[in-house]
Order: sequence, then structure tokens, then C-alpha cells
Amino acid sequence: MAAVSAYRPSFLRTFWTNAVFAPRTTLGFMRIDFVLGTIFVIPLTQMVFFAFVAQLGGESVAFTALGNAVATVTYSSVFSVCQTTDSEKQQGTMEHVLVSPANRLALYFGRGILPIGISLATVSVGLEYAHLFFAVPIALDQVPALAVSVVLTAFAMVGFGLLLGGVALYLRTSIILGNIFLFAGLLLSGVNFPLSALPVPLQYAGYTLPLTWGLAAIRAAVGQGTGTPLGVLWGAVALAGVLSFAAAISLWEVFERRALATGSIARF
Amino acid sequence: MSATTVRAYSGRRSTMAALRLSFLQFMADPQWLIPSMIAPVIFGLVSFELFRGEGHYYLTYAILGAGMMSMWGQTLYGSGWATGQDRVFGTLEPTLQAPTPYLYVVLGRVIWNVASGLLGGLIVYLVVVGVAGSPPAVPNPVAFVLLFIFVMLTLAAVGVVFAAFYVYTRYAGFIQNIGEFAFYVGTGCMFPVVLLPFWTNPIALFFPPTWALDALRYASIPGYPGFAWGFWPDIAGAVGTTAAYLLLAGAVFRRVERHVLEVGNLADY
Repeated sequence: MAAVSAYRPSFLRTFWTNAVFAPRTTLGFMRIDFVLGTIFVIPLTQMVFFAFVAQLGGESVAFTALGNAVATVTYSSVFSVCQTTDSEKQQGTMEHVLVSPANRLALYFGRGILPIGISLATVSVGLEYAHLFFAVPIALDQVPALAVSVVLTAFAMVGFGLLLGGVALYLRTSIILGNIFLFAGLLLSGVNFPLSALPVPLQYAGYTLPLTWGLAAIRAAVGQGTGTPLGVLWGAVALAGVLSFAAAISLWEVFERRALATGSIARF
Repeated sequence: MSATTVRAYSGRRSTMAALRLSFLQFMADPQWLIPSMIAPVIFGLVSFELFRGEGHYYLTYAILGAGMMSMWGQTLYGSGWATGQDRVFGTLEPTLQAPTPYLYVVLGRVIWNVASGLLGGLIVYLVVVGVAGSPPAVPNPVAFVLLFIFVMLTLAAVGVVFAAFYVYTRYAGFIQNIGEFAFYVGTGCMFPVVLLPFWTNPIALFFPPTWALDALRYASIPGYPGFAWGFWPDIAGAVGTTAAYLLLAGAVFRRVERHVLEVGNLADY
């Protein structure tokens, strides 16, 4: 049989297979209790914590509550997705992925489906908490724009998580990387106070994070924006997501070429 | 040699061995200090920014809260996670079958975690003070340091109880991750517990660090709006609850050991 006629799964099949199997393999640590806790408990406790800190500091509780409602998306989108690389290494499946003819975009995007869904749920529940318990005004006519902002943010954040997972290919563990970006957003993305309160170099660092743009879009959708048109912010969030996915796939391709050239994936 | 002598010798040796092993594991992979440091440092900086302009004593709130979070990372994660790791490595049953009470093994780990937690607290202090540009205004620095160590010990007591209960659950990681912010809120690590709704206060008083932190703030922040009963009752409450936690942990560990002897394994939990 000629090599060209070898079986090559379709884009959709690869995408769907990974979307279905990832929760049992690389995302196997995301059990139902973990997922429910991430969606319903962490947003509330994190928002309560920072709301009281803001109250003690004389800052706006509504601003802080909304920021943390959105920031909790990083648990499922960044920290969990970033750890998939560790799962591959620990489970000994990295070699099989590398020699698979499967389309890489379909593979990684399929794996991102569950985290995107959990991220959507987390932000939605967080926004509901913000409205109910912290008096963040959300009018009914703002909901469509808010929904678009939330979907784009979840997409971009999962892309960013995959990008960090790509970087983690070259590291011994993704834990440190995941921890840094899990919490960096609280400081650099305008979650608890406006970005303008930071020194200029840190403001630039903040603008490189998708969470900054996603949060800006969500704030603009509910009338907490700084004047930048919502369409521009949506474009920025979408661009951040596309760039993150592209960079993640590029990192994997470089890693694959190195693995094939050296015959080893153990050098990191 | 009497049985009592064997037990005492064995207990001390086990504690020292567990302490030494914890130290060696830390030195073999010291990067594990970083994950537990990132969140406290960032929370300290965020709080400092939110408190900026509220007065010099608010820096103390940020440092104390972030330092306590660091200790949470080292002690509660470290102590609790150790039991989970024993289970994963298959060393939990052999350790429990040894003639030395398991409590002595946990004690060695807790001592190391307290030491590394203090190291973490020092790093948090240096970073936040570096960003703030000046150290916090503390009326009595010696009392501040002593009470800070006391807060760490009360946290360690919570860690020991958690470690005892984690033997019986496969949800240790879940409880730690999900309960992290709830514990920060409940013990008032970054703000006075009296700011919380009144009905939460009795729940908060079940935790030794709530009392100890309140006492520490009374000693270091003039005009601190803590519990109405003041400094010394806080100290008494902290000592009492810490003692109760240690007694509870001892009882649970004895129960665990009896359970292992009766059932022959710890697989059913």
C-alpha cells in the first residue's frame, strides 16, 4: 500500500474524538466535583474575599466584584488546559500524539471544547453572583453584547491556556507557569483596580494578556467601560484568541520537529 | 527495654526522620516553594494597591494577610497533601502499620512546613515592603514577630486536623482548592472578621487563626476594629482552640490506626 493512501482521519472526526475523549484522558483530573466547584463555589468565595478587601480599602465593590467574576475563568481555561501537557507526559501518550497523522488544529481545538464550555459557565455564574450579591447593574438589553463578550473571552482564554501548554512542553512541569498566569491577571488585567493605577511597564505587560481585553469588553458591555468602542474590544479579544491558538500550534510543531530530529522528547 | 521506652524513642526518631525527609524533598525540588508563593505575593500586592491611600497601618493588613496565605500554601497543602501522596505512593499503610504513631510522622512534616511557611512569609514581606517603599508601622516589632509565629502555629494546628481527616477522604485536593478562598474569608486573613455578616462570626471562631490574627492586629494596628473583647481574650481563645484542634487530631489519628488494624487496609474510604 502506498504511503499516500494511508488512513488519515478527517478534520471533524479528529475534532470530535478529542472533544469527547479529552475529559477522560488529558483533562481526566477535571472530575464533576472539580467542575461544579469551579463553576459555583470558587467565583463566589473569590468575589466575597476581594469585595471585602475593596470595602476595607474604600474602593468600588462593584468594580472588584465584576472583575473577579470574570477572572475566575482562568481556573478552567488557563490552569487546567496548561496542565494537559503534563498529563500527556505522565500518561506516556506524548509519543503517540507526535506520530499521529491527525490534524493538529482539530486536535487542539477539540481538546479545548470542554474548557471553553466550563469557562462560559464559570463567567456566566460569576456575572449572576455579581448582579445578585454585589449590586452590579446588568440591564436586559445589555445581555446580548455581554454574551458575545463572554464567548469571545472564553475562546481567547482557552487559546491562551493552550499556548501556555505549548510553552510547558519545554519545561519539566507546567505547574509554575500555570500558577503565574492563574494569578497574574488579578494584578495586571484590571480585575481589582484600573490598569492605569499600575506603572507603565506593567500596563504594557497587562495588555499582552487576553484577560485584559476580555474583561474590558465585558465591562464595556455592562456600562463600566472606559470609552473604547465595544467593537474594537471584541476585535482585540478575538485577535488575542486567534494569535494564542496559532502560537500554541507553532510551538507544538517546533517541538514535534525537535522530537523527530533528536528521537527524544525527554530533553526538557 | 520497656514498651514505653521503645514508643518514646521511636516517636522522636520518627519525627526527626519525617522532618529530615521533608527537608530533603524540598531541597531536591525547591521550585515547589514558588507555586505556593505566587498567589500570596500577588494577593499582597493587589491588597496593597487597594489599601493605598488609606493610611500607613493598612500595609500591615496586606502583609499579614499575604503571609498567612503563604502559610496556608505551605502548611495546609503540605500537611494535607502528604497524606494523599502517601496513599499514591502506597506508603500510607506501611507507615500506619509501623509501631510509631502516625501522628509523629505528621508532626515532622508539619514542623518543616512551619519553617518553610515562615520562609514564605519572609519573602512576601520583602516583596510587599519593596513595592511599598517602606516597612509597615509596627508599634512593637518583637511582639509582632512572636505573634506572627504564633499565628503560623495555629495554622499548623488546622493543618494537622486536615491531615488526620484526609486519611478518610479522596477529596483532599478538592477541599483544599475549593475551600481556599472560603478559609481566607472565614478567618479574616485580609480584613477584620467583624466586617462579615454577624451570623458568620461564630463559625469563624471555630478556627484558631481567627483568634490569633485578631490578637496580632490588636498588637500592631492602633485603633484596630476587631472583636470587642480585645487582645488577651483573643490570645486565650487562640490557645484554647489550638489545643482543641491538637486533641481532635490526636483522637482522629488513634481512630485511623485502630481502623487499619481492624480492617487490614485503607483502601475503603
